[in-house]
Amino acid sequence: MNFPVWEVSFGAGLLIALVAILHVFVSHFAVGGGLFLVMTERRARRSGDSAMLDWLKIHSKFFVLVTVVFGAISGVAIWFTIGLIGPTATSNLIHIYVWGWAIEWVFFFIEITSALLYLYGWEKLPASLHMWYGWVYFVAAYASLVVINGIITFMLTSGKWVDTHRFWIGFFNPTYFPSLLVRTCIAFALAGVYALLTASRQRDVSLKARLVKWSEAWILPSFVLIPVFTWWYIRTIPSELWSSARGPMPTATHFAYLAAVLSGVTLLLALAALVRPARLRLGFSLVLLLSALVTMGSFEFVREAIRKPYVIQNYLYSNSIYVQAMPGDGGFDVDHINQAGVLQTGKWIETRQLTANNQIAAGHEIFRVECESCHTVSAYRGLRPYLIRRQWDQERLAAMLGGLNLMHNGVMPPFAGTDAEREALAAYLSAEQPASSRAQGAIDGETVFQRNCSMCHQDLTQPDLFSSLPKDPAAADEALKSLPGIFPLMPDLKLSDQERSALVQWINARLPNRK
Amino acid sequence: MQAPNFIPTADPNPLPAPYWVLKLLLIVTFYLHILAMNFLMGGAVMALVGRWRSGNRAFAIRSFFDVGRKLPSLVAATITLGIAPLLFLQVIYGQYFYTSSIVMGWPWLLLLAMLTFAYYGFYLAASQDEGNFGRAGWILSVSLLLIFSIGFLFTNNLMLSQTPSQWAAKYFHDPRGWNLNLSEPTLVPRYLHFFTAAVAVGGLFLVLIALKRWKEETEYARYIFQFGGNAFRYATMAQFLVGTWFLVSLPKDKRMLFLGDNTLATALLMLGIAGALAAIVAVGKALEKDNVRLGAYAGSGLTAFVILCMSVMRDILRDAYLQTYFHPEEFAVKTQWNVFPMFLALFIAGVIFWLVMMKRYWFVRGAEGSGAK
Repeated sequence: MNFPVWEVSFGAGLLIALVAILHVFVSHFAVGGGLFLVMTERRARRSGDSAMLDWLKIHSKFFVLVTVVFGAISGVAIWFTIGLIGPTATSNLIHIYVWGWAIEWVFFFIEITSALLYLYGWEKLPASLHMWYGWVYFVAAYASLVVINGIITFMLTSGKWVDTHRFWIGFFNPTYFPSLLVRTCIAFALAGVYALLTASRQRDVSLKARLVKWSEAWILPSFVLIPVFTWWYIRTIPSELWSSARGPMPTATHFAYLAAVLSGVTLLLALAALVRPARLRLGFSLVLLLSALVTMGSFEFVREAIRKPYVIQNYLYSNSIYVQAMPGDGGFDVDHINQAGVLQTGKWIETRQLTANNQIAAGHEIFRVECESCHTVSAYRGLRPYLIRRQWDQERLAAMLGGLNLMHNGVMPPFAGTDAEREALAAYLSAEQPASSRAQGAIDGETVFQRNCSMCHQDLTQPDLFSSLPKDPAAADEALKSLPGIFPLMPDLKLSDQERSALVQWINARLPNRK
Repeated sequence: MQAPNFIPTADPNPLPAPYWVLKLLLIVTFYLHILAMNFLMGGAVMALVGRWRSGNRAFAIRSFFDVGRKLPSLVAATITLGIAPLLFLQVIYGQYFYTSSIVMGWPWLLLLAMLTFAYYGFYLAASQDEGNFGRAGWILSVSLLLIFSIGFLFTNNLMLSQTPSQWAAKYFHDPRGWNLNLSEPTLVPRYLHFFTAAVAVGGLFLVLIALKRWKEETEYARYIFQFGGNAFRYATMAQFLVGTWFLVSLPKDKRMLFLGDNTLATALLMLGIAGALAAIVAVGKALEKDNVRLGAYAGSGLTAFVILCMSVMRDILRDAYLQTYFHPEEFAVKTQWNVFPMFLALFIAGVIFWLVMMKRYWFVRGAEGSGAK
């Protein structure tokens, strides 16, 4: 709204997810792998295991090439990507936490330097000094996680920051510690998972067996602790956010299941590697690595998804609109936009005047600035399939847009804009539905419910569901003629006589004992 | 209806420290970044040019690897030192920088893919043994081409961020972000100005390596001293032409800042020119007298000074470009006293600790190497 919208045809959200998941998978390895390097070196030296030491030299080169090169650049890539897709959120995070980022940068500088000196120092440095660089690396890398974790968790659970705007209150927010512990365990587990990769390339079977067992000593204890800390993590997430992953938000729900199932698969694969450690193959360790990658990706995906509708909880919506008015917000808050209109408030609007002839073009503008940060028309989080499923005509679509923030467990921000703009957006979205997809003929009550009611009334086990609707069919039919009359926040849907009658029949049959 | 104003509103959060503190950090960290970048890009140029030099073949190969094997660490330094100015830039100039980046979204993001390939290329080239001299050269050439392109994209974006009047036409022409800033009249001379400076610093890089090698391998050290010293001199002389072209290409009001309208800008330009001239003379004398110490110390000291002047001038020029829109006195400031001193303390401690790390590494004595079995 304040910035131009970068139109990513396949979905801006997908691009962020891809870049972020690849980065976190390497950056956690960069943390845990640091301790792994130094502990392995200590173990090899104490036991006089020169073969393990030789392997560690190769592994440390692999470590540097993966973390210092790809890890560092992909970290900058996340920064670039969020700046391009969510500049308002990025700018806010930079302004609120610039000293946090700057402190992280100091640690990052030490981290990169010590990683390189550790690698280059194998042939040059005495053992104690070499290990000193390893320790320096790990402490700096862990410190950078300690800092960044505060900023990531702040976005999910801003806590009392919204009232105080104080740095440390936002930093040590409700999910800070559980998230730090989960990430610490993930980092140590990944140290072992990555080590299996280079271990599997060893020809010396005895060494390979020792390396596999040693790597498993990093993976298995972490897998015991991850569920414990994840349980705590979930408990500290406000229930209204976490409940999105319990059904109402299909993507969050699917990925939550995927994360749970694949973490089990990863554990099983890790245990399977222990059966014949001397025979571990590269292919097997790659499958394990891939399983860990998808597990972690799913975990991050859930975290990002349940944060919706916010990018910073209770402060900024995903579409860069502020939840509440505040000084200096440029008018990009819901109340102001509702009053002045999105076409007049947005900075990067080409069609500012809404007329009877340009409804669709203006609606496209509104879609661009209010919806495209998460949705596309037909690609990632595409609206076309959703709308085809619902079969809303333009008028019904306009009514539904008035209740966006109530749908699907409240994962969407409210529509911000005037009534005429809401109708223009409906006109644009309606035009995007192929005419051939329009359903014809009679429909049953369940279909009417699924298409028109289920977005908000999704939980059929809720005892007070439809409690305001009279049981008498004729009275219920009459009440359904004006939904806001039943409850003021309901959209003013104009159901046809046939739809109302079918719906009342279905509700009475499906929920005979409702209050 | 009002004319559209596309300039984004500044962030609603106050600056977390006085403006001058953030500006100082921006200039200082940018200066460090640009020094590392000059060594990287100039070093790669010198490695490749040296490769095709006629004369002593063994020395040509040697100098190629001597420089080439230091490049991966210089990429690390350039990136790491680049993060801080990018951070402080976003605090002060965020609304301009984000917008111009979005206008050229895909090229801007893809430069990081290019950087990844270039970085791995530098490692791959450095890992070749001397028998694979030819292959190493080709790999390094590809990486260098990518680095040239990345620099060009940076010049595109940073100039675009300073010329908001160009944004709307480009953005609405292609909101998918397949835009560049090729219509910017100062683009080419500005880019060449940076490029030429990098070549000069690349020459200086060889002089510094020569200083290190002088005692043990005088003949080889003399070879790279001559090569690097001359490259430095000629590139710096060429800079007078390129710099003049850049100055002339600037809009008149901006140009005149350096020619009398702004005392500080003018003084910095004069100091920069004097410093560059002094460096040419000093390095020339050093080459004549075969005095590598003079060449290295005078050359690097004066060049570091000149680049500092140029970094401040660059900042003055940016503010001049943005003067219609950018009013730093209007920023709300609320210094985060509960964390800012912590950053300062950690920053100072970090610098000291970094120096200790480097010292312990370089001055390690009597070690057999931890790799010894």
